[in-house]
Amino acid sequence: MNHKEFQEGAKAALPIVLGYLPVGIAFGVLARKAGVSTFEAGLMSLLVYAGASQFIAVEMLSKGIVWFPIVLTTFFINLRHLLMSSTFSLYLKNTRLSILGLISAQLTDESFALAMSNTSKISNRPKYLLGLQMASQIAWIAGSVGGAFFGVLINHEGYGLPFALTALFICLLVLQVKRHTHLWVMGMTGVFSIFFKGMFPGNWYIFLSALFALGIGMLMNPKANSSKT
Amino acid sequence: MGEEMLWLILGMAIVTFLPRFLPLAFFTRWVIPERVKMGLDYIPIGILSSIVFPILFANGEGKVEIQPQHLFAAIPIFVFAWKVRSLWGSVVLGMAIYWGLGFVL
Repeated sequence: MNHKEFQEGAKAALPIVLGYLPVGIAFGVLARKAGVSTFEAGLMSLLVYAGASQFIAVEMLSKGIVWFPIVLTTFFINLRHLLMSSTFSLYLKNTRLSILGLISAQLTDESFALAMSNTSKISNRPKYLLGLQMASQIAWIAGSVGGAFFGVLINHEGYGLPFALTALFICLLVLQVKRHTHLWVMGMTGVFSIFFKGMFPGNWYIFLSALFALGIGMLMNPKANSSKT
Repeated sequence: MGEEMLWLILGMAIVTFLPRFLPLAFFTRWVIPERVKMGLDYIPIGILSSIVFPILFANGEGKVEIQPQHLFAAIPIFVFAWKVRSLWGSVVLGMAIYWGLGFVL
């Protein structure tokens, strides 16, 4: 077991930790308001660990909806991870299935984007990825349990906290732009995603935009893919 | 904890895990065609663009509408991220600008 790699990954997760704590707290507060216990909120953050669907689950629970529709909704919301998981597969060829299982269970938009900002760090280094994702999930669980426990005592909408994850995503997006073609795909997907959001329910627009970007990438001239900016 | 709640959490956990796990399990053991690999290269940009841009240009119901506090905080962060390339700096600076804008807008 390579502890250095694991620690390096955990340290790299710092910006995610900063973003997850307030959002986790917000989830905990809302969960309690919907009648979910602190233990249940923590268990959900441990076993499900998917921000958007946890918020929607709590919202649906507060309206008295039974478990099956919530599970079905969760399935559709998290389908977008299919594409992220496919992308990770390029870098983890020689990893054991049990480790892949653990990595998959902790795959989120944020950890995926952060990991992809420097692929040399994750290429056949599953321990680094484990450290990164484990630190992120611990922040998420700590936030949810803290929020559920302390409830309204915490102001999770103050001090620019609602913008923390947006700023993280902007920086990750900028770090992804390595060629002219990337800039084009960013612009096109950006415009389409704004319209997709208006046209499709829930967060389908993220999945569809990723599919759109995948399609453009596959149609592109292979030569255009090697020209550096 | 009620039985209903247990089914809810376990059900959500399973349907969340499968799309995260199956592609990784399959594609690390089968060969991916070159053209698909080219496409996968654009997935992070696609996902990140589709998260960021609607936050700046669409409202909660999905209607096209500029979100001034988010947009004015986002522009300097784009520039900062491009020049300095610091995640953690972007997050702290972004929060500060967004917070400040809350008093002005």
